[in-house]
Amino acid sequence: MKETYIILAAVFVPVLGSFLLPLIGRFSTRIRNVASFLFVLTSFLCSLALVSSAMAGKAVVFSRQLPLGFNLSFTADGLAVFMACVSSSISAIIILYSFGYISHYENQNEYYFMVVLFLGAMMGLVFSSNLIPLYIFWEITAITSWRLIGFFREKTHVFRADKAFLVTVFGALAMLIGFISIYQQAGSFELSVIKEAFRTNPLPGMVVLLILIGILSKSATLPFHTWLPDAGVAPSPVTALLHAAVLVKIGVYVFARLFVATFALPELWHTVIPVIAGASALVSAAAALIETDIKRIIAYSTVSQIGFIFFGLAVGNEIGVIGAMLYILTHGLAKAGLFLSAGIIEQNTKTKDITKLGGLMGTMPVTAISFLFCAFSVMGVPPLGGFFSKYLVFSGAVNRGDLWIAGVFLLGAFLTIIYLFRLFNLVFLGKSAFPQAREGSLGMVSCVAALAVLSVLSGIFISYPAKVAGVSVQQMLGMIK
Amino acid sequence: MTPSILLLLVLIPLISGIASIFMPKRASLVSLLATTLNLLISIMVFKQGLSYSVPWLGFGIDLSLRLYNFSAFIILSISAFSFLISLYSVVFMSGRHKSNQFFSYFLINIAFATGAILADNFIVMLFFWEGLLLTMFGMISTGTKEAFRTAIKAFIILGIADLCMMVGIALTAHLAGTLTISKINLPIHSLGGVAFILLIIGAISKSGAMPFHSWIPDAATDAPLPFMALVPAAFEKLVGIYFLTRICLDIFILDPKSWASPLLMIIGSITIILAVMMALIQKEYKRLLSYHAISQVGYMILGVGTAMPAGIIGGLFHMINNAMYKSCLFLTGGSVEKSAGTTDLGKLGGIGRKMPVTFACFIITAAAISGVPPFNGFFSKELVYDGALERGVVFYLAALVGSFFTAASFLKLGHAAFLGKISKENENVKEVHAAMLVPMIIIAVACIVFGVYNYLPISVIQSVLGEARLEGHNFWGFPANMTLVALSVIVLIGALLNHLFGVKKFGSGLKAVDHIHYAPGLSQIYAKAEKRFFDPYDIGLKIVGAIARIGWWCDKFIDWIYDNLVVRVTYIFSDGIRFAHTGNYSFYIVWSMVGMIAVLVFLIR
Repeated sequence: MKETYIILAAVFVPVLGSFLLPLIGRFSTRIRNVASFLFVLTSFLCSLALVSSAMAGKAVVFSRQLPLGFNLSFTADGLAVFMACVSSSISAIIILYSFGYISHYENQNEYYFMVVLFLGAMMGLVFSSNLIPLYIFWEITAITSWRLIGFFREKTHVFRADKAFLVTVFGALAMLIGFISIYQQAGSFELSVIKEAFRTNPLPGMVVLLILIGILSKSATLPFHTWLPDAGVAPSPVTALLHAAVLVKIGVYVFARLFVATFALPELWHTVIPVIAGASALVSAAAALIETDIKRIIAYSTVSQIGFIFFGLAVGNEIGVIGAMLYILTHGLAKAGLFLSAGIIEQNTKTKDITKLGGLMGTMPVTAISFLFCAFSVMGVPPLGGFFSKYLVFSGAVNRGDLWIAGVFLLGAFLTIIYLFRLFNLVFLGKSAFPQAREGSLGMVSCVAALAVLSVLSGIFISYPAKVAGVSVQQMLGMIK
Repeated sequence: MTPSILLLLVLIPLISGIASIFMPKRASLVSLLATTLNLLISIMVFKQGLSYSVPWLGFGIDLSLRLYNFSAFIILSISAFSFLISLYSVVFMSGRHKSNQFFSYFLINIAFATGAILADNFIVMLFFWEGLLLTMFGMISTGTKEAFRTAIKAFIILGIADLCMMVGIALTAHLAGTLTISKINLPIHSLGGVAFILLIIGAISKSGAMPFHSWIPDAATDAPLPFMALVPAAFEKLVGIYFLTRICLDIFILDPKSWASPLLMIIGSITIILAVMMALIQKEYKRLLSYHAISQVGYMILGVGTAMPAGIIGGLFHMINNAMYKSCLFLTGGSVEKSAGTTDLGKLGGIGRKMPVTFACFIITAAAISGVPPFNGFFSKELVYDGALERGVVFYLAALVGSFFTAASFLKLGHAAFLGKISKENENVKEVHAAMLVPMIIIAVACIVFGVYNYLPISVIQSVLGEARLEGHNFWGFPANMTLVALSVIVLIGALLNHLFGVKKFGSGLKAVDHIHYAPGLSQIYAKAEKRFFDPYDIGLKIVGAIARIGWWCDKFIDWIYDNLVVRVTYIFSDGIRFAHTGNYSFYIVWSMVGMIAVLVFLIR
């Protein structure tokens, strides 16, 4: 089975490779940088290679028996492959950007080690079809993100990193208890077995709640979201990674994996989760309108947009889930672009306070235009990708009849337009506060520009990702065998 | 003819728009060429019914375009305007900063507007419709230094309205079970009513009616003039009113007895009156025109909202008439700006003799907008009056009062700009380049033709409504109701007398309406309005700010729980536990015993 090796390569090349990076770094920083990019690129190419078999409806499975039912098993179905492609492609761009960004700072070996391990753990989590490896990879991401948020080692930064770690690990432990009670009823951690076991009897509410706590804390959703804006002290490529490619998307992915693809969610939760997500979207959008730190604003924007993704998933019909999956893609591209632009601004002006910034349109035109296009995508303006995902989520909700909650999200979408323009206005327009500020390095600016271009292309060629998403949703909802 | 020719209508401007970014020197010629081609194609397909469809995203989202009598009419108008304004812009924009960007957005704007009109699938329509946001943002931003702020204002207002429409479309598609626009026909009640309102928000915001209007006057001063002549004057009305009519005639069934019809008429009447009152007191050529661009859309909404054949035909006829005279008026403004270097009415005056052709075009189009027979505006207004009167005297009076002030403000504008004494600075003003004059002359002549020979447009519009709705009536020719015509003429004479009174009292054309401006009661309201006290955008942002403040406090409270409450509880808890660790052996033995007993109890039970 050649394809099983592809899965293993996608997961273990970055996971194991990351441990080599500090060693390589002792000899040559350039080789280390290239190696870390290649590891991530391998993941991306492997995931891409799995698309065709996933589209054909054949899930590639790898499984090894281990004692106590802790099997190591990986499955590459549509959802997993889609998610893996999104995460690894965005991560690859972020690594390229890091070459320029992180070269100014110390502890670079640690940086590349953690980032590549982070992505590797994400790939492992995405392909896992057993709850135990899934949990382990989940916790590896918690540890790496803790180290990366506190990367600059200042006292407040370490506190913030601790906060992020404590909140997410608290959630993860609650989720673990949920997993164990599933094991008690199903007799296995294997998702395929669990799916059969719960085909007839519904999931107990307590278990849903416990797992949901884990998911919401990882995906930074109300009331577990405040660690994410605080995590903005991390280096900008790390925040981009946390927001766009890896960390917060984990919760969303596991939600899709468990509550859409594996269990049928009890009817009550189809209302409760949209309400939570709606409150989260609204409160964080409101906070984004008041905050004055550029990275905190974008972070609150992520919290708000994650609400839309949960909304689409919780609606649970075909259109809503496809919308949510495309949302993961389009939001990932755009949000990475926003954070990387913020990184350029932060590095060149040495401030993150938007009330002190201004007039950067003149000195950083490429960054400004890229920022604007990424913002357009988050707002949901065609022809950018965000338009389609936003429409599909709303359409799914309306088809289900959730008009009131759709109204709340509509308000959230209004606020999105307003706070992004407020940000753009204060940072790029008006009087030039930093006439001496220049564009970032060529590599960094081209990464940002590439993300803006990809945001546009993801809209114009939306039919390709939509096809993959469509097939995987049909697999998830059991519409085709 | 193959249906795929419809794609060309969208692709030609789109591709040439993208190309012109990379050809800074030749952008204006590319735009002229592309708009000419589009005009030829739209003339070729005018009498045809074509539909084109290919699968796109699945779940009912197909790339389908449909050309039938209504959309062909709008497409032809769009192509004609874009050709004329392109011709005008070649000279007007030459030597300007960012002119290639302007042409690029201009062409893409044409592509999106064409696409929105042709689309027969809601998602395709929404795609192009919302895409107009980007091109509009781009075109405004190529203007003055302040233009970016205005562009943001316009984007926020229209973006929010478009989001409403997005949800409205999702709801409509859900109720109808299809996304194909031509297959949808829903009644307006319960959920259908919600969908109707959401769609209407999209349509009237695009056409620039109140309360979605307040960016237009700002854009008038900040954006490049061809933008004003193309978008708020022509395209927005064509696209917005086209869709409004589709909503009222095809997608939903607008019954005169339903609540929706009075709602539209009220929006229309309020827009007419308030906007024209603001137009009256403006002291800047383009800003004055921009308020008329808002006010005139009121007549269209009023007309369509009557749900009477006369009103709908009047509204649609007014749409095309307004697009003509309003864009020509803006073009005259551009000529004045180009020659005199200012559009401030206080600095202008007496240039009519120096620019005879521009002045002649101004007179014709100003007469048309004021509703002077035999120009086109007169006939469409009479039809709107006819429809409005059938539904209620109040609506008719609103429209009539609007006409009075329209005429008064154009008398003021013409007098202040073109007549009176010429100032020293304007001694050397010359008539503009022929390429700028030709579009104005063509439109002015068309205003006469559409008035005298109104069979031409009205017969096309009647075919849109269909024989069943018309019940054998024909609306072309001279208005049937002579009483209404007499009343309109009286109002016009009243406006003229009012102007002469004002000029005599205050001594200049610019101050001809000061007796209204500073009338007791009105002057305070005007003063506040001039300070943007009533700007719905500012009010809306204040409300949003308040909501945001509440949300922010919620967020800070949650954060306080993590940063303080949890930490404190943990400390209290661990302080309690600390008492257990005294370092005293006997104490630990007691603890161990308690533990063992607990284990035993657990096991035995």
